[in-house]
Amino acid sequence: MQLNDTDLIIQAQKGNQNAFEELVYRYDRNVLSIALKYSNNEDDAKDLYQEVFIRVYRGIKNFRFQSEFSTWLFRITTNVCLTYKSRSKEHLKVSIDKDFDDEEHEFNTTKELVYDGSTPEEISSGANLGEIVNAAVESLSPKQRMTFVLKHYEGYKIREIAEMLNCKEGTVKKYLFDATKNLRKKLSPVYA
Amino acid sequence: MKHNEYKQLLQLSLFGELKSEEQVKLKEHLLICEECRTELEDQKNLLELISGKKKAAVDEEVLSAARYQLRGALRSERSNQNIFNSVADSIFQFFPSPLKFAFAGAAILIIGVLIGGILFNQSSQNEFIGQQNGDNRFASLSEDISISEVRFIDSDASDGEVEFTFQASRPVHLKGNVNDSQIQSVLTYAMLNEQNPGSRLNSINAMDTETPTQYDSDVKNALITVIMTDENPGVRREALKLMNKFPYDEAMKQTLLYVITNDTVSGLRIEALIGLKD
Ligand SMILES: [Zn+2]
Repeated sequence: MQLNDTDLIIQAQKGNQNAFEELVYRYDRNVLSIALKYSNNEDDAKDLYQEVFIRVYRGIKNFRFQSEFSTWLFRITTNVCLTYKSRSKEHLKVSIDKDFDDEEHEFNTTKELVYDGSTPEEISSGANLGEIVNAAVESLSPKQRMTFVLKHYEGYKIREIAEMLNCKEGTVKKYLFDATKNLRKKLSPVYA
Repeated sequence: MKHNEYKQLLQLSLFGELKSEEQVKLKEHLLICEECRTELEDQKNLLELISGKKKAAVDEEVLSAARYQLRGALRSERSNQNIFNSVADSIFQFFPSPLKFAFAGAAILIIGVLIGGILFNQSSQNEFIGQQNGDNRFASLSEDISISEVRFIDSDASDGEVEFTFQASRPVHLKGNVNDSQIQSVLTYAMLNEQNPGSRLNSINAMDTETPTQYDSDVKNALITVIMTDENPGVRREALKLMNKFPYDEAMKQTLLYVITNDTVSGLRIEALIGLKD
């Protein structure tokens, strides 16, 4: 018979390693998926994954069942992602416009997008379309990027995202609208 | 409803987040509004462009690599905890009783202070909770103890009580046989936690005798952790050498395989390859 989350958590709280691992393996695919899509980098994603579950390991003794385990876990996940500083900042250096202006938009300024010299033809040929899209998503502010990833790539409901980020649904919508606006601004030369 | 609000509804509809009555409203509006139809097309195109990685499932190889890394990290987390407890036990007996809390770098103290003085009670594991009860023990904080990282939990003294944490450390001099379990636990703690790579190296070398078989399994687990995680290649190499003196088992084999596939230093990869037995 399969144990439910609650049983596993109680066992894990008593120090049962197998129970903890089983609990991890129930959800770690989702955690890794968020980390991968948020960071766009496998090494960063593995670091994020590890950091999340080390925090879960340290915190599980104090888990008081006031929320679903998954909600708690994804809250940790989004938190870890949002505060994470990439080890490999250099892995993406491509942009579609060499002098973008971000006066009215909340772009993430720590990530500098550098024009890689592609001609418009190369860009529209799709040769590095994936990279361009990634760079555009990475240029979003961490919270815009996180809500966008959770909504668009991971398919969570706005209500669920609000729970994970511990904010109001209206705030999530605002992040999503801003994210879309910024992405359109960056990507319209490619798809329009 | 304003035009702009419809534009937001458009987006929510593409995300599948509209209530049915909103959906109806939007549909009606789209029939009469050219601009919103164009907007819808545009947003659809954008999402299509971006959805390249949408369906991509997590790569099984990346997942198992992440799980493997996590198991190593958890092992290190556990051995740190165990070692901490045994180091705490062995070191505490070197202190006169009110100073049981004090040793380098490891203990975080939570101390409640009332006007008048402090008393330290040792409590479980790495949290030491003390509460004042009238006895003046401040004098016990003798001169060779250094206090750092004072952080306030409650700095409002209006109720006569404040609460803060600080690190209290004191140099400890230990001398003894390397087969002594207390000496071993201190050395093991040092190889995992000492900031200075030279000290980590020395701790490993100090344990490098011909008879590591007598060592506790914590020592081997700590070595495995060092081999997999220490950033200093010299420290990793010494740990690898020492680990190879332990009786060969599955954990060692996994560690060697890890080094062969992951270590950035070719010399270490070769050494691991030599250590590998079938
Ligand atoms: Zn309209």
